[in-house]
Amino acid sequence: MIDVKNLHKSFGDKLVLDGIDEHIEKGEKVVVIGPSGSGKSTFLRCMNLLERPTEGSIIFEGKDITAASGKELNRIRQKMGMVFQHFNLFPHLTIRKNITLAPVKLGLMSQEEADAKAMELLSRVGLPEKADQYPAQLSGGQKQRIAIVRSLAMNPDVMLFDEPTSALDPEMVREVLDFMKQLAEDGMTMVVVTHEMGFAREVGSRVLFMDEGRIVEQNEPGEFFACPKDVRLKEFLSKVL
Amino acid sequence: MSWFAEVWEKFYKAFLEKDRYLAFLKGFATTLEVSFFAVILGVALGVILAIAKYMAANHKGCRPLGWIANIYITIIRGTPVYVQMLIIYYLILTARGIPAIISGVLCFGINSSAYVAEIIRAGIEAVDRGQMEAGRSLGLSEMRTMKSIIMPQAVRNILPALGNEFIVLIKETAVIGGITVLDVTKVAMNVGNSNYAYLTPLLIAAFMYLAVVIILTKLLSMFERRLAKSDRR
Repeated sequence: MIDVKNLHKSFGDKLVLDGIDEHIEKGEKVVVIGPSGSGKSTFLRCMNLLERPTEGSIIFEGKDITAASGKELNRIRQKMGMVFQHFNLFPHLTIRKNITLAPVKLGLMSQEEADAKAMELLSRVGLPEKADQYPAQLSGGQKQRIAIVRSLAMNPDVMLFDEPTSALDPEMVREVLDFMKQLAEDGMTMVVVTHEMGFAREVGSRVLFMDEGRIVEQNEPGEFFACPKDVRLKEFLSKVL
Repeated sequence: MSWFAEVWEKFYKAFLEKDRYLAFLKGFATTLEVSFFAVILGVALGVILAIAKYMAANHKGCRPLGWIANIYITIIRGTPVYVQMLIIYYLILTARGIPAIISGVLCFGINSSAYVAEIIRAGIEAVDRGQMEAGRSLGLSEMRTMKSIIMPQAVRNILPALGNEFIVLIKETAVIGGITVLDVTKVAMNVGNSNYAYLTPLLIAAFMYLAVVIILTKLLSMFERRLAKSDRR
């Protein structure tokens, strides 16, 4: 589904991604872990071109999208949902509007269809009564679940999660992870940058460890956590587990 | 003569005698008129400048636009409005027989636009970067994200500051007498000239400015309170 080839990214003269080759299959749940500054968020943001690769290419559903721009780029992004650390809900719009804005403005659904879809998704996360409230009235965990729902309303083929629980109070992490787990069970293709090792072990079909802009080690989660090989990974795991 | 009678006589001479209050009111109307049209021009030009600066900051191809806007803003903010007014009046417009008041409106509009541009730019920049990213990641175009997501939030930052700019502008127009426009300050000076007594007419003019500024400030804070209320939703 997504092919990443020889991906490099520099900010000024700071090299953040130093040659990444990766292939993500449809239905896979790829979890990316690593110390801060290892480039994992940038890697994720390059996939939907929120960051432009300095070198290398991104191939999505068989098409090289690295140089896409304008309408083509917007169409590609409709198929890649993205969930941010800080939710980025639109504070001036109700929850319903947050969810329906994009599908309606892009002409994918009528307002009625989008409203129905929004209510269906809200019921799924157990927040239908929040439809007419504003983001400021919700808890962090609720906001993040709504943000996920907002992406889902576009019927994406893949969901990218950029540290979705890092900004949450500890007691709210579970509700977000549970919802993500549900999504995974429904077969959604997911790429998740996270520090939640439990989630990686439980939900991931593959875990990648990044350090200094490279993927240093990867494996299926059982093996990955049971017998890490790379020295840096061992060190990292000893700190976080 | 008692103190009160003395004050009354001065006030009578400055304001009521020979229907001078009519001249004051007319001058006051001119002040408001110049301010009103200047603020409209200032906002229109300011929006254009702000767009130029925004485009320059976010699109490599538009950088020259940003340079032009910055030079313009630097010159306008770096020179006195009185000098700008005289330049516009003497060099550009009198030769073509255009009324002085138009020079005034143009000058204050152009002057204000530099400040308005900065107000708008700051208002847009104050909106969290993540908002643009969220819009774009949903597949919305930059224009659409600007219109539906960024601007509605930026306007909340911009409007109160714009109100302040309007208040500043009203006070600044007091120098427009320098190009023969009969605003309330100029009327006060003229009355002073004919009575050989300047203090009372100038105090009257000052009071008129103060009154309109106080009213506008009140309106503005009412408006800000309403904005703040909807923020707490």
